[in-house]
Amino acid sequence: MAETSAPYSVEEVRIKIGGQAGFGIKASGQMLARAFVSAGLNTFDLTEYPSLIRGGHNVFGVRVGPEPVPSQVEPVDVLVALNQETIDLHLDELGDGAAVIFDPSEAEGPAGARGVPVPLDEFAETAGAKIMRNTVALGAVLALLDFPMEPLEESVRRQFSHKKPEVADGNVEAARAGYEHVREHSPEPVRRLVPVAGAAPQLLIDGNSAVGLGALAAGIGFYAAYPMTPATSLLHFMAAHERDRGVVVKHAEDELAAMNMVVGASFTGTRAMCGTSGGGFALMTEAFGLAGVAESAVVVMVSQRPGPATGLPTWTEQADLRMVIHAAQGEFPRVILAPGDHTQCFEFAWRAFDLADRLQTPVVLMLDNYLSENRASVPVLDTGAVTVDRGDIVTAGHVGEGYLRYRVTDDGVSTRAVPGVRGALQLTNSYDHDEYGFANEDAAMRDAQEEKRMRKLALARGLVPPPLVEGADDASVGLIVWGSTTMPARQALEWLAMEGVPARMLQVTTLEPFPADAVVRFIEGTPRTMVVEGNMTGQLESLIREHCLLEPDDSLRRYDGRPLAPEGILERAKEVASRA
Amino acid sequence: MPSLKDFEESVKRPTWCPGCGNYAMWRALKHALERLGLDFHEFVVVWGIGCHGNGADFLRCQGFHALHGRSLPVATGIALTNPELKVIVEAGDGDAYGLGLGHFVHSTRRNVDMTLIAHNNQIYGLTTGQVSPTSDHLMKTVSTPSGVLEWPVNPTGLAIAQEATFVARGFAGDIEQLTDLYVAAIEHPGFAVVDVFQPCVTWNKVNTFKWFRERVYKLEEKEGYDPTDREAAFVESLSTFHDLVCTPDECRVPTGVFLRIEGEETYQEGLEQLDGPMWRKAEAPRDVTAVMDEYLT
Repeated sequence: MAETSAPYSVEEVRIKIGGQAGFGIKASGQMLARAFVSAGLNTFDLTEYPSLIRGGHNVFGVRVGPEPVPSQVEPVDVLVALNQETIDLHLDELGDGAAVIFDPSEAEGPAGARGVPVPLDEFAETAGAKIMRNTVALGAVLALLDFPMEPLEESVRRQFSHKKPEVADGNVEAARAGYEHVREHSPEPVRRLVPVAGAAPQLLIDGNSAVGLGALAAGIGFYAAYPMTPATSLLHFMAAHERDRGVVVKHAEDELAAMNMVVGASFTGTRAMCGTSGGGFALMTEAFGLAGVAESAVVVMVSQRPGPATGLPTWTEQADLRMVIHAAQGEFPRVILAPGDHTQCFEFAWRAFDLADRLQTPVVLMLDNYLSENRASVPVLDTGAVTVDRGDIVTAGHVGEGYLRYRVTDDGVSTRAVPGVRGALQLTNSYDHDEYGFANEDAAMRDAQEEKRMRKLALARGLVPPPLVEGADDASVGLIVWGSTTMPARQALEWLAMEGVPARMLQVTTLEPFPADAVVRFIEGTPRTMVVEGNMTGQLESLIREHCLLEPDDSLRRYDGRPLAPEGILERAKEVASRA
Repeated sequence: MPSLKDFEESVKRPTWCPGCGNYAMWRALKHALERLGLDFHEFVVVWGIGCHGNGADFLRCQGFHALHGRSLPVATGIALTNPELKVIVEAGDGDAYGLGLGHFVHSTRRNVDMTLIAHNNQIYGLTTGQVSPTSDHLMKTVSTPSGVLEWPVNPTGLAIAQEATFVARGFAGDIEQLTDLYVAAIEHPGFAVVDVFQPCVTWNKVNTFKWFRERVYKLEEKEGYDPTDREAAFVESLSTFHDLVCTPDECRVPTGVFLRIEGEETYQEGLEQLDGPMWRKAEAPRDVTAVMDEYLT
C-alpha cells in the first residue's frame, strides 16, 4: 500500500499501465486519456521510460477526474500489469481498494491486493493480433470504473483512422472483450467514474506541442534543431507543419550549426527559434553569446533533463537554470522565461518572440522532460490574445542616409533594418563594435556599447511576464517555485487548503531579469516560505539570496530524475507552517 | 549600381601586412561585385574570424562578421530565409577547414545557393603562426616545432567527393582569374566553393608567392579537361602537394574551375514554403486554429 497520504478526491482515478518498452504503452495510454477528456473529464499523464527503443520497463500513468487535476499523484487505483515485473515494481504504490489487471498466462497476480485476471493475449488474438493486448486491457480498465465504452471506441477509431478499417474494428472488438470479461467475472468497480455531460471541449496536449503552437501563432519562419530528448518532439511538430504553415525547418548537422543558423535567420528579420536540451545548449553557448553582442532577436527552448553530460536522457530535472543564466563569455542581456504548465507553454512561447523583437536579444524558454513530454487536458488556448510586436524593425523600403545599426539610444534598442532594405548598410558583428558595426576597441566606445546593450534589461523588466501568486491571502506558508514544479505545487496548495492550512505559491515566471521586488514582497508578506525545485543545489534559492538578500525558511529539492511529488510538498509545507 | 570606389567608401583602410594575399582577394571581390552589377541591398557578405575576417571592416555592404568557424551556418540561416539575397561567405583555412570542417562538408552536400570563398594561407596568421589544417606535412610552426604529423585537409577533393556543384581554386597572385572565378561562383545556382591560395608573407615562409608562381597552371588550359566530369575533377584535386621539398616539376598546382554541374536542384528550390523573405510570415499572428484542433478530444 502507498505510504504517502493526502486528501485524495474520491471522484478521481489514477491508472498506471506498465510493461516492456516497445509495446505501445504510451500510445495506448494516450488513447485512454483522450477517451476520458472527450467525456468531459480532466487528465494529467506521466510517462516514465528508459532511453531505449525496445526492452526495459515502460510506465504510462494517467490521473483522471471531474475537476482539474494539476499534476500526477502517487497512489494507483488501477494497475495494468502487462508483465510480472510491473506488479513487482509497483505493488507498493497501490491505494486503498486498488485492483491489478493482469494476464494469468504471463503473471501470477498481486500478493495481498485485488487481482483481476484477464486473458489479454487470448482476446487480442481472437480480435486479430496479439499487439491489441493493450487495448483489451483498456476495456478492462473502463469496466472496473463502471465507465461507458463509447468514448474509448471513438478514441480507438480516431487513433487508427489512418490505417485500414480492420485495424480499428479489431481494436474495438478487443476493448469490448476486455470490458465484457471484467463485467462478468470481476464486476465490483474500483470506483465509479462518471462522464461530465456538456463540459467545454478541451485539448489534450504536451508542453512541447503547446510551445510549437505558440511559436506558429507568433509567425515563426525558421526553426533549426538537432534531435535531443526531451526537446525532439518540438522539431517533429515544426517539421510536420513546415509546408502547411510556411516554416523553414532545418535539422542541422549539430547544435552549433542550429544556433548559428537561427542567428543568421534572425538577421534577415525572420522570427527564428531553436530547441534543445542542456547538452545541446552547452554546444550552442558560443552562438548564444553571438546573439547577445550581435543583438539578434532569437528564441531558444531549453528543455532540461538530468545531467551532467548524457545524464539520464529520458528523465526530468531543473538543474540547468544557472547554466542558462550564465551561458557564454562576457555579459549581455538575456530573458529567461519558465512556463509552469501547458497553457503557459503556449502563452510564453508567443510572448518570447515579441520580447526578442522588442529587446533584440536572446530569449530562452525553459522547460523540462516533465512538462515537455507529458500531456494534460487544458481549456482551448487563447489564440485571440496573440500579438505580433516586431519592435523597432524595418523590413522593407529604405532607411535614411547615415543608418547606424548599433546607434546608442536611451533604452538600448537601435533600429534594426534588415538586409534587402535600401540603405541598410551595416556590419552585424561578433566583435564589439562602433555604432555602424565596425570592430572597435576604443574604451569609451566599449563602455557605450556594453551599457547600451545592458540597458535593455531595464526595458525588459516592464515587458516580461510578472511572477504569479496563487492561493490564500492570509497564508501561513508560502511555496516559491519555477517551471514545471508549479504543477505539483499547485496540487499541494489545493490539499493544504482542504486540510485547513492556508498557503500560497509564488511562481517565478521570469528568471532573468530576476523579479527581486516581487519576491521580497512575497517573502516578507508570508510568515514562512519554502523553495521547491528539481535540483540538488537550490538554484532558484541561490538567486533569491543573491537578488533579495533574504533567506527562505526551508527548501525541498528533488534530483533523482523524477518530478516533485505533490505529497512530499504537502508534508513539508505542513511542517514548515507549523513552526512557531 | 555601385562601382569599385563605392565598396570602399566610409570603411576602414585594410590593416593586413604589406604584401598579404588578402589584398588581391579583396580587390577581386570588389571587381566581381561591380561586374555582377549587384546593388547594395541585393547581397550579404558573411565573414568568419581570422586575418581574412578583418576584411569585414574594409568592405561597404550588408555584412555579418560571425564567430570563428561558424560563418557557413550563419550564411545558411540567411540564405534559407531570404531567397532574394545573394549570400557570399568569406572564411579562412582554420575557419572553414578546422573548426568549421563539419559545416563545410554538410554545406557541400546541401547545395544551398551561396558562395564560399576560402582564404587558404596554410597557416594561422591572426594567432601568430600556428599550424593550420591545410599546412603541409612536416611543416614546422610554433605549435608543431617538430613538424606537423598530419596530412593536410584537401578542400577541393572533399567538396568534389561530397556532391558539390561548383568547385574552383584560385591563387592570390592572379587577380584577373580570381575575379572570373568569383563571378562564376556567385552566379552559380547552388553551393559554390572557391578555395584560394593566399600566401601569408609573415608566417608562412614555405608556400610563398614565388613558390606558387613556379607551380600553378590553369585547368582550362589543360587539353581535354571537362569540368562537368566529377571523377576527373576528383583526380585533379588529388594532384596537390603535401611535400615540403618537392620541386616545381614534381608538384604542379592546378587552378581554375575543377567542377561545375549545372541544373542541380538547390536546397532553396526544394523548400516550397520559401516563397519570399520569411519575415513576411510574422506580419500578423498566424491562424493556428486548425493545428490546435488536432489536439481537441
